[in-house]
Amino acid sequence: MTSPTSTYAQAPVLQVRDIVKTYGGVTALSGVSLDLVAGEVHCLAGENGCGKSTLIKIISGAEKPDSGEIIIDGIAHTAMNPSAAIKSGIQVIYQDFSLFPNLSVAENIVLTAAVAERKRIYSRRVSRPSAKAIVDELGLTLDLDADVVNLSVADKQLTAICRALVHDARIIVMDEPTTALTHTEVERLFALVETLRGRGVALMFVSHKLDEVLAVSQRVTILRSGKHVITSPSSEFDRRSIAKHMTGRDINDARVVSTLAADTPIVLDVEALGLRGAYTDISFALRRGEILGLTGLLGSGRTEIAESLFGASPAEQGTVRVDGEVVSLRSIDNAIAAGIGYVPEDRLSQGLFMEKSIADNMIAGSLDSHRTRWGGLDTGKVRATIQRLFDRLHIKAPNVSAPVRSLSGGNAQRVVLAKWLANKPKILMLNGPTVGVDVGSKEEILDILRGEAAGGMSIIVISDDAPELVASCHRVLVIRQGHLVHTLEAEDITVNTILERMAE
Amino acid sequence: MNSKPTSGSTLTRFNDQVQDRTSAVISRIHVSHGAGRMVLLVLIAFTFFTALNPSVFLSLLNLQNIALASPEIGIIALAMMLAMLTGGIDLSLVSIANLSAIAMSTLYATVAADNPAMAEELMPVLILVGIAVGLVGGLINGFLISYVGITPILATLGTMQIYNGIAIAWTGGRTLYGSPESLTVIGQATVAGIPVLFVMFVLVAIAIGVVINKTPVGLKIQLQGANPIAARYSGINSHVVLMSTYVVAGLLGGLGGVFFLARNPTASADYGASYVLLVIVIAVLGGTNPNGGFATVSGVVLATLTLQIVSSGFTAIRLSSSEYAIAQGVILIVVMVADQVTWRRRRRRAPTRARVLASRT
Ligand SMILES: Nc1ncnc2c1ncn2[C@@H]1O[C@H](COP(=O)(O)OP(=O)(O)OP(=O)(O)O)[C@@H](O)[C@H]1O
Ligand SMILES: [Mg+2]
Repeated sequence: MTSPTSTYAQAPVLQVRDIVKTYGGVTALSGVSLDLVAGEVHCLAGENGCGKSTLIKIISGAEKPDSGEIIIDGIAHTAMNPSAAIKSGIQVIYQDFSLFPNLSVAENIVLTAAVAERKRIYSRRVSRPSAKAIVDELGLTLDLDADVVNLSVADKQLTAICRALVHDARIIVMDEPTTALTHTEVERLFALVETLRGRGVALMFVSHKLDEVLAVSQRVTILRSGKHVITSPSSEFDRRSIAKHMTGRDINDARVVSTLAADTPIVLDVEALGLRGAYTDISFALRRGEILGLTGLLGSGRTEIAESLFGASPAEQGTVRVDGEVVSLRSIDNAIAAGIGYVPEDRLSQGLFMEKSIADNMIAGSLDSHRTRWGGLDTGKVRATIQRLFDRLHIKAPNVSAPVRSLSGGNAQRVVLAKWLANKPKILMLNGPTVGVDVGSKEEILDILRGEAAGGMSIIVISDDAPELVASCHRVLVIRQGHLVHTLEAEDITVNTILERMAE
Repeated sequence: MNSKPTSGSTLTRFNDQVQDRTSAVISRIHVSHGAGRMVLLVLIAFTFFTALNPSVFLSLLNLQNIALASPEIGIIALAMMLAMLTGGIDLSLVSIANLSAIAMSTLYATVAADNPAMAEELMPVLILVGIAVGLVGGLINGFLISYVGITPILATLGTMQIYNGIAIAWTGGRTLYGSPESLTVIGQATVAGIPVLFVMFVLVAIAIGVVINKTPVGLKIQLQGANPIAARYSGINSHVVLMSTYVVAGLLGGLGGVFFLARNPTASADYGASYVLLVIVIAVLGGTNPNGGFATVSGVVLATLTLQIVSSGFTAIRLSSSEYAIAQGVILIVVMVADQVTWRRRRRRAPTRARVLASRT
């Protein structure tokens, strides 16, 4: 029977009531309530730093709320702790994955289960099949014996997903589980979500990709600055209205690209670049002020091409010219000297110094250009650069001496971007520049890139976020199995063409 | 300066600024938290021994002794701090210092056998020789760690044995006597009651503080320790950073050898054997994160003083050397346990991720 006050067909499995959480002076959540119901996917949406991950950490017991309660099966708790949460059937995919880097994929997938069940002996023989079962169910090609530390971000993310799904959880919470995944994996994940839903699992899902939110969920809750804005069935929303509730303004993701004059000089000329096992015969040119998209499925070689141009894993064949001069890109130093910058894909391990301050992170890539005549740091100039970028990128933090660890995901991404803008490279490659960034900020970041391009910087955006490529790129290169298969230009650049060409 | 579009009104902007300032001040206090704790420890140790035996402990001679014994340990502790700042360690520092003292003493004795007057004049050259020995030792460590890629603890364990072996072979295991009169004079000299060696130690500490906080290479050292992979992707050349760190550490070790000889005109292969452990404790007690990325020079200087005060306090209350040895062991363990507790508490505050990151290489 339905109770008169509830709109649900059945009692919620988990409720949070009036949760308040502050960090020092920052209020992350002020009085948020929501319910999770069996067999339903509940989406949590909101701008970067609005408190989504904080709410999830409170549900999983990783953080304690200042006030409010968590009600599981009708029993109220003032706070959870991680093992109690796991025992009550809650599984979480954290935004930062929280994997053990020195253990293998299989161990990561099954170990938390073994620990939670208080098994004293870990048996490889017993655990491997259950890891394999979930990997197969998702149709993945994960190497179960690889060490997690050596995995790509996407594989780390898939490992974290498998770890949460391997349990017979009643409540599964996913904090941006698809940031590094492409279409295919996302579809498989969603198929599995459907199955779980059918089995009566309650799911919570966080994503900045609004199409995914609409596709996967039955109910949407939107937060803004730690406050509850609205909860409604997802059928009552569309992209535009979600964005509007999130940001309080209208978001414009229309295509805005500058016109490049026919005689614009070529800055980067790549000719027959090749690296065994990664990509072959890649040739393209990048002009001054151009924004070039580089897209393809996972493992297509798009990241490897960028890493080669940055000297991180040098190419074996081909020549690269910068401003007409042949450059040898054997090391990162070479690339930086040639004026090439790179915002890496894995921001947690490759992009950021989590325990260091925002200021230190921002200046990390351009220390040598902030010298005084005597070789010391020019503190005045450093401060000016940091303040300029902090303001320009609208980083949400009390001040620049806060550690990056205390930032929300999207704000951390802006810090990585700031590090490279401080270095003023001629050519800036960005691998997933808006991964985990909310719709409003995405628009701002793309605008910043357009501004840099207008100022003469040449930009390569490596991404599989088709709307973002459409919104900002002059041309889009499609990579498939290590080959450059299409170059899309002008009116060919649409979300549908990009998705088709990627997957063909 | 550009204002954020969201903070339109003057009042909100003013509010923002006040909040910025206050939290900036608060976070600065937090940074020097390690040093603050050390000031407290120095005061406690000092008051404790003053209360037990004021006439001996507070005598000028005793205070000068504290100031005289600190520099040689402190300078090696600073070198250890640098290595730890990059996430490494340098076990060979004391061996380098001994080798440097032995080289200086041998050279002096050789020249003095023919021409004592000339040997005396050789003092500045001897100091350079001592520092050069440190430089070579540091270069070898740096090469093994940054270019060959051996883990710091193994590389310097190896070189510690080698440098120590060379020192024993060279001296035949005996203690060498002899150093220029003028060096001993410097070692004993005081300015306004403060030993010259102590003043030099403080100057070196200030210089290192400036280097790690106010120069590009210093920040690179910190960042390299905080996350080597992100450092690489930020264009920080780990070869150069590690090389310069271990070379500077070696130089400081060499300078430590000069201090050894200035304080005491003898040199031997087994001098200061207990220092290897002691300087690690001093560095960590002074707020150096053994995982790398964080350290304060003032913390390390104060930690050196604390341990020296404790050590001379035990002499002042006339405990036998065996009792002192036991007590020192206890203090070391207590310090380590206390430190372990604060690290663990810090880790608990930042759950899961800290551990995941800490085990990341
Ligand atoms: N450990 C912490 N210390 C201080 N502040 C914190 C801490 N963790 C989170 N915050 C702050 O709390 C707020 C909410 O952060 P949270 O990570 O929940 O955001 P989010 O909605 O998940 O954002 P994103 O979409 O970017 O992941 C932010 O302002 C953040 O800076
Ligand atoms: Mg988040």
